[in-house]
Amino acid sequence: MDAIIVRNLRRVYKSSDGIIKRKVKEVVAVEDVSFEIHQGELFGLLGPNGAGKTTTVKMLTTLLIPSGGSATILDLDVVKDAGKVRPRIGFIFGGERGLYWRLSALDNLRYFASLYYVDTQVARKRIPELIELVGLQGREREKVEGYSRGMRQRLHIARALLHDPQVLFLDEPTMGLDPVGARELRTTVKNLQSANKTILLTTHYMFEADALCQRIAVINKGRIVALDTPERLKENVQDLSVVEVEVYGMPPDQIEKIKTLEWVVEVSLENRDQVQVLQVHTPKGAEAIPMLVENLNGLRLGRIITREPTLEDAYVRLVGGAK
Amino acid sequence: MLHWILWGTDMMERISRNTRIFFEGAFYSYKALFRWLNPATYLASKVLAPLTIMIFFVFIGAYASGSNNASFYVIGNSLIFAASSGIFGVTMSVGGERWTGTLPYLFGCPANRGAMFIGRAFMHILDGMLGVFIGLGWGILLFKLDLSQANPLALLLTILVTTFSTSGLGLLMGCLSLITRNVMLVNNTVYFALLIFSGANIPVEELPAWMQVIANGLPLTRGVACARTIIAGGSLTEIMPLLKEELLIGIILTILGYFLFKVFEIQAKKLGTLDIF
Repeated sequence: MDAIIVRNLRRVYKSSDGIIKRKVKEVVAVEDVSFEIHQGELFGLLGPNGAGKTTTVKMLTTLLIPSGGSATILDLDVVKDAGKVRPRIGFIFGGERGLYWRLSALDNLRYFASLYYVDTQVARKRIPELIELVGLQGREREKVEGYSRGMRQRLHIARALLHDPQVLFLDEPTMGLDPVGARELRTTVKNLQSANKTILLTTHYMFEADALCQRIAVINKGRIVALDTPERLKENVQDLSVVEVEVYGMPPDQIEKIKTLEWVVEVSLENRDQVQVLQVHTPKGAEAIPMLVENLNGLRLGRIITREPTLEDAYVRLVGGAK
Repeated sequence: MLHWILWGTDMMERISRNTRIFFEGAFYSYKALFRWLNPATYLASKVLAPLTIMIFFVFIGAYASGSNNASFYVIGNSLIFAASSGIFGVTMSVGGERWTGTLPYLFGCPANRGAMFIGRAFMHILDGMLGVFIGLGWGILLFKLDLSQANPLALLLTILVTTFSTSGLGLLMGCLSLITRNVMLVNNTVYFALLIFSGANIPVEELPAWMQVIANGLPLTRGVACARTIIAGGSLTEIMPLLKEELLIGIILTILGYFLFKVFEIQAKKLGTLDIF
């Protein structure tokens, strides 16, 4: 059975500019998005910044009214039955905001427990359990303003679970966390899925989606460009190899030139500290190296390697647009 | 019969759950959004700032009117302190959620909007009443305000009703926080308008006719008049018609605020303005 069904969802934002002659500008954030999430599934919505992930989550959590299309959660329409949807879902948005910093974790949870109509006796038992689940025991009486980003993020998860919802929306929950904090949070998410919660996780970290999600929808410029299991998505790029070249000060026109080469499928450039890493997807494998070096003539080069494609490469190909 | 019993039980349960939201929400939202008020800050804003305001208006008033009627300004400005809590405090109890980024979480929860919204005014009504007592206390200490003729119960009732009605105005303006981040601009304008129109510093009957019309439509005006009558030795029966009107204004503003809150919630969800700050 599907816990979430999304059909042709669309959201347009309008903004206006100017004082006398106001110009109304329309931005399509989500366009014709459709997918289903099975009960108990951990589903990933993967995409770059501004792709429409958060807008989609906001519409599904009743916080934003869609401009078109429909969505149901546990057979309840997110617009018409918003009041019935809310007690059945829990959600968190990435970042540190959304908690009362001057209250302790305990007071934050007590307040939200009352807002979710959690019975006082139940809340008294559940709050310590959740505090333990997210590893905040011993710090629960301290004000949230003294917490690290990771602790706040974990408190968000506890808040979202207070009313024991069947469906969870986690919007970039590991955003800005240090590697240890992010790993702990991923373990918590994995445990939630074992508890048979239906989870929609949005992220732009490929390895996170790969490690956690059973299926992934890749969203770009408001549209779903691929939807499959991580393994099947990777298969899309199995015919290719990736050549990585460390370069220093690569001009944009040279990247454009490389994109036009016949044996090049996709190109991306990543900044890593002092060095830039040029990634070229090609069916030629190691044979492409001399040809590539020839086209990088005049630039200072570092390490050059070839490797098998990862989910990240599949993602780059999808959101970058295959040539 | 069974149907009615079930209906009654369900209704009692709803009332009990929403009463919890009303009081817990009042307590936690006050603690969460106003905890920056440590004892020193609270003392400064509740005790010292009113003193300077009181001195300013008493001396300006006495100088401008040529009379030495300090109690007129002391009573008027003491009740202005209720408006200050009612307008700024209540508005910020809604608007502060935008700054903390908790608005989406509040609107994503199933809590009854009425209990959640109106409950926020509760602590500020108590706070506003305390402000009035402090103002009157300064009046007694510095300006020989005489409360010996006042019926304490009638005065307490007047202060309670006036604080409630100004909180209603605060709730109405707090709604604006849902669709705009510039609500303080509106707040300040309304607060200073009350200083002029409410009769706290200028007798309403001395205002031009068009200003009197506005004054009579605002909360606080009748409350100030009632307090002056009571302190001068008037009875509860004497002020009751005005007090009822003050209460009615408060109820109308609260109901209007609640409906506007519902409308703006939908509007914010249409415009996507819940989490801008």
